[in-house]
Amino acid sequence: MTAEEVALPDLDPVIHAPARLRLMAGLAALGDDDRIAFPRLQKLQDLTAGNLGAHLRKLEDAGYVAVEKTHQGRTPATYVSLTRRGRQALEDHTAALRALLEPVTARASRPDDPELR
Amino acid sequence: MDASTPRSSRTTDDDAPLDPRDALALLEAEHTRTQRQLEPDARLLYGVWGAAWLVGFLVLWTSATGRGPLVLPAPAAGATFALLLGAAVVVTGVHSARRLAGVRGTSSTQGAMYGWAWLLGFGCIGSILVATGGSGASPEVMGVLSSALSGLVVGLLYLAGGAMWQDRAQYSLGVWILVASAAGAVAGYPTNLLVMSLLGGGGFLVAALVVAVRGRSA
Repeated sequence: MTAEEVALPDLDPVIHAPARLRLMAGLAALGDDDRIAFPRLQKLQDLTAGNLGAHLRKLEDAGYVAVEKTHQGRTPATYVSLTRRGRQALEDHTAALRALLEPVTARASRPDDPELR
Repeated sequence: MDASTPRSSRTTDDDAPLDPRDALALLEAEHTRTQRQLEPDARLLYGVWGAAWLVGFLVLWTSATGRGPLVLPAPAAGATFALLLGAAVVVTGVHSARRLAGVRGTSSTQGAMYGWAWLLGFGCIGSILVATGGSGASPEVMGVLSSALSGLVVGLLYLAGGAMWQDRAQYSLGVWILVASAAGAVAGYPTNLLVMSLLGGGGFLVAALVVAVRGRSA
């Protein structure tokens, strides 16, 4: 059993799935006060509407994203944004991943390459 | 790959947990990719404007001086210039609108305000030129004024954009366009047209190249 496998349960399971990790990273690329329309997000993430909706629901349940339903004229529009809590969770998650890699990388890497990316 | 860094095999399963190294790489790649998709591609915009200035001002210069391989009559040269710049405006507008589509909030407000600054600036130039032309300014004065004013507005707006988005390439381009416009004005009509073509248009193309090279190495 490796160090990574021992430590994996510490990672936030809501985020630590490829599709939702990508989704969170994509939403974090928006400005702090920005929201993105569902169809644009779907195109950026290359997911089906159903798939994206399901992942968003999980993230919304955890309080990581805000889903806002409005109207543009007569057509309903849905806007998605990362909440403050979501941004924090993603930062914590990134830090946790880096911490997990640190001992492994320190052992594996050359002393002339101490910087972790 | 070192034996002490075991990696789980990449999986396509949506809910399978990721190896931390893969997860970090995924986070970084997705963040960068999304950011690029949400902002206009500077290579395209600088490239289009560089080509329009280079060819457009050159056509005006050859027409005014009778030098060069292709000498168009003045009305045809003017129409070519207007057509090239109009095409650049359309490409810029359509491309920027597509990149910003579906995003609401501070950044889209910023983008819209900045876009309006261009429109207002050039609207103002238009009325200044109509007014000076109507007050009996000579064709030489009009020839200096029209490209100098355009260069002034373009240069200042790139300085503003560079400052607002902390974009050094854009800021440098603004400085360069101001220098080229000042040099053109000092050179006088019709040499200023050649200066705007080579230094102005050339500056845009160099900026496009710099952004392209930097993007590849990033």
